Amino acid sequence: MELIKSFTRVHSRLKQRIMKVNFVLSAALLVLGLIGLSSCEDEVSNVPTAEAVKDITGSWKVVQLTRNGEDLSERLDLSGFRIGFNSDGTYTLANQLPFIADAPGTYKLSDPQYPFALVLTPEGVEEDVVARFQFPMVKGKRQLSLSFSLGCESNTYQFNFERENQN
Amino acid sequence: MKKATHTLLYIYLLVGLFVTMFLVHCGLTALTVTVPEQAMVNERVTFVMHSGAEPRIEEPGTYTTQLLAGIMVPKSWNARQNAVLTFTSPKGNGVMRMIPDSEIEPVSGLSWHQAAKNMFGIGPNLVDDFEWIVYRSTQSYTFRNNEDISFDVNVECNVGAENMLVRLGFYVGSSIENLRPEDTDYKKVAFSQVFEVTGGEGDVIDFVNPQLATVQPVRSLDNDIVTLTFDAGVTHTVLDNQEDIYLAIRCFDEEGLLIDEVNEQTDKTRLRSIGGRKFLLDFWPRGFFNVERGQRIARLEYFYTDASGTLRVGYGKTEEPFRYTFRCQ
Repeated sequence: MELIKSFTRVHSRLKQRIMKVNFVLSAALLVLGLIGLSSCEDEVSNVPTAEAVKDITGSWKVVQLTRNGEDLSERLDLSGFRIGFNSDGTYTLANQLPFIADAPGTYKLSDPQYPFALVLTPEGVEEDVVARFQFPMVKGKRQLSLSFSLGCESNTYQFNFERENQN
Repeated sequence: MKKATHTLLYIYLLVGLFVTMFLVHCGLTALTVTVPEQAMVNERVTFVMHSGAEPRIEEPGTYTTQLLAGIMVPKSWNARQNAVLTFTSPKGNGVMRMIPDSEIEPVSGLSWHQAAKNMFGIGPNLVDDFEWIVYRSTQSYTFRNNEDISFDVNVECNVGAENMLVRLGFYVGSSIENLRPEDTDYKKVAFSQVFEVTGGEGDVIDFVNPQLATVQPVRSLDNDIVTLTFDAGVTHTVLDNQEDIYLAIRCFDEEGLLIDEVNEQTDKTRLRSIGGRKFLLDFWPRGFFNVERGQRIARLEYFYTDASGTLRVGYGKTEEPFRYTFRCQ
C-alpha cells in the first residue's frame, strides 16, 4: 500500500515537472517565434521590389484571335502565323494573317518595366505602328497580348500569343 | 467543443437565411422604356427609362449608392459624344456622367461599357454594330427601409444619318452592386420595340429582321477580317437542299474597275455550317484577293452558289449580286 502511495507521489511530482518544462518550452518557442517573425519582416523589407524588365525575345505563335470581343480562333487557321523577337531589337514575321505590320523590322516596348505598348518599325515604312501590349500569365504560361485596329478604328483585334517551346 | 461548433453552424445558417431573404426583397423594379416609333435622320430624340427602388433594409441601417444607367445604340450615332442623360426622382434630379473607359468594372475586370456589352449583348437585334455606354449619377443617394420611389432617366441623343430599323437597349443599376452575373435585383435591362430612322440616303440598315445575307462588321475596310453569313432559313431559294454553300465574289477599286474575281468551288470559298441552316465564311479581303501593295478594295459584289456553281442566289433572290462597300463612317 505504502509502495503505491509513494509511487503516486512520485508520479504526481514528475507530472508537475513535465508541465513546468512544457510551459517553459512553450514560452521559449513563442519568444523564438516572435524573434524569427520580426527578423522575417526585416528580410522581407530588404527584398528588392523593382519590377522585372519584360523580355519578349523568342518565337511566338497565335493561340487566340478576337475581333470586337468575338472569338475567331476556331474559324480561322492560326497555325502558320509566327512573330519572332530577337535580342538585337529586330523582329521577323511568318505571315498568314492580317497584322499591323507586313514586313520585318525593329521593335521596342514603350517602357522596359511597365510597357503598355509595343512599337514596331517595319522596313520601308516611315511611320511606326503601335499595338496595345499586355503580358499576362494564363494557365501557368506567359502570354503576349497585342490589341490594335487593322481597318476601321471601331474594329479592335486582340492577338494572344504563346512562346514556342514554352514549358 | 462539439457543442460550440454546432452553435456556430446554426448561427451561420441563420445569418445566411436572413441575408438571402433580405436580398430577395430588396432592389430595383422592372425597367420599362418610352421610345418613339420613328425619327428623321440626325434628329435629336428623347428616350425615357422608367424604374424604381424598393429598399428593404433592417432598421436603422441605410443603403447608399449612385444610380447607374446604360444605353445600347448603333455605333454610328456617336452617342459617346452627343448623348446626354439626366434623371428625375423624389430624392432629387441630376445629370449622369459617362464612366471613363479606364475605370474597371470589378466583377468582370473589363471597362463598364465592355462589361455591359458582354453581359447584355445586343438583345433581339440580329446584326452587331452596337455599343453599350454606361453612365453614373454624380451624387450618391441614401435609402432607408421602405423608402420606395419611382424614377425616370431621360436620354437625349442624335440618331445619326443612316436609315435603319433597330431595337435599342437600356439598363439601370446600383453602383455598389457592380455587374454580378447572378444578380437579378439590382440590374434591370429592357429593349425597345422597333425604332425606325428615315429620311436619309442609301439602303435601310435592318438590325431587326432576319436577312438572307449579312456582313460583319457592319463597317470595315479591306484590311479587316470580314464575315459573310448566308441564312438559308430566312426564305426559300434554289440553294434550299444544298449541304455545301460556296461564295462567288468580285472586288472593285474606287473607280469601279474590277480588281479580282474568285469564282471557284473549293475550300477557299466554302462556307462553314453553323447550324440552323446558317453558313458563314471569315476572310481577309487583302489576303483573299490578288491585290497589289498600295491598291485599295472599295467594294464587293457576290453570290452564294452550290457545289457546281450553276445554282446561285443574289440580292432579293434576283440575278443582282449582294453588294458591300468598305467604309468606316
